[in-house]
Amino acid sequence: MTAATDQAREQLKAAMARLAGGDRAALEQVYRMTSVKLFGICLRILGDRKEAEDALQEVYVNLWRRADRYDPQRASPIAWLAVFARNRAIDRLRSGRVQREAAPLEAAAEVADAAPLAEDLLIDAERKARVHHCLGELDDNQRDNIRAAFFDGRTYADLAEAQGVPLGTMKSWIRRGMQRLKTCLEGAE
Amino acid sequence: MTERDQLAAEYALGLLEGEDLLAARGRMANEPDFAAQVAFWESRLAPLLDEIGGAVPDEALWQRIAAEIETAPGGEVVSLQARLRFWQRAAAGAAMAAVGSVALLVLQPAPGPAEPALPGPLVASIPIGDTPLRLGVTYLPDRQEMLISASGLTADGVHDHELWLVPPQGELRSLGVVRPGREASMALDPDLADLIQDGAQMVLTREPLGGKPVGQAAGPVVAQGAFRTVG
Repeated sequence: MTAATDQAREQLKAAMARLAGGDRAALEQVYRMTSVKLFGICLRILGDRKEAEDALQEVYVNLWRRADRYDPQRASPIAWLAVFARNRAIDRLRSGRVQREAAPLEAAAEVADAAPLAEDLLIDAERKARVHHCLGELDDNQRDNIRAAFFDGRTYADLAEAQGVPLGTMKSWIRRGMQRLKTCLEGAE
Repeated sequence: MTERDQLAAEYALGLLEGEDLLAARGRMANEPDFAAQVAFWESRLAPLLDEIGGAVPDEALWQRIAAEIETAPGGEVVSLQARLRFWQRAAAGAAMAAVGSVALLVLQPAPGPAEPALPGPLVASIPIGDTPLRLGVTYLPDRQEMLISASGLTADGVHDHELWLVPPQGELRSLGVVRPGREASMALDPDLADLIQDGAQMVLTREPLGGKPVGQAAGPVVAQGAFRTVG
């Protein structure tokens, strides 16, 4: 990890702490440092700029209202924010506000994967290596569907339909995959 | 995996919809073990999110966010409210009941020797005219911070209301313009903070928009109340 990344992480951590103190300038700093990353996540899940911007707005307004939810003991700020943004986007998708076309997975994948920013805040190099290793241990049908659920917000029903398999088959693929994944991830404790 | 762990994994991954999703949300709120399982998956999968490239939102988005939070209390106010609720429960109602009984405003003689520092917060609940509305004021001595809650009030567009501390001697000291519908927290200057003690009186005056103009007398008193120790 570069010194610049380290510095950015420390700045973000400090801004998050000031945010919990009700400092509006801190919210703007958090926004400037993280909105490109979080918008990429919302856009990937929602597949629509307008929806993704609405989701992003919810993320930061929620962050402002409940800044005390972030616990620095439990996660790095960027990991926590990234998960928070993904969850908001998924909630939005499930709430029915977004009438997403049944776009093919390939099309969705093209939306935002290009060109990660140079100043990207890396989430956690060690855990990243581990989760990649553990996903690599899975069968193709387990891994591909778990990834599609994670990156594109697909439900069991979406995935079964996309793959042309019965719902029960899809559930059993993914559940077995999750079991193996969990055993592997826990092995890293 | 147990049924619980499996549902937690499915929820974290985002696979659920319909009744299964509702059930998982309910367990998130009510079962710490379930929430811990979800947190496990979230933290372990989070690094995958680095694979998603960034995208630049519209420049106007920050302005929208800034405008929305302008009307929302921030983290500190929320945490002050949480502390206030705690103390309100702890006060067993007795002190709070006394807050409503407001004597006529009389300038009081200077108090005797200074009392020892009070650790607990002071609160005032100021009734507004003959309406059921109240202005809530909380002062935290340990932090010299004050929270003013005017959440039930609405602006008339013509007047503002200014809150004043009535010291034992000398002129009224402004505690700021009350913003209707808002919660606001503020730090107090030490010399002003020293004046806030059990029994300290406040008045609310009606002023032109923006508060009392410099060089003019304060407007009419529309409400009054006193701080009481609750801690």
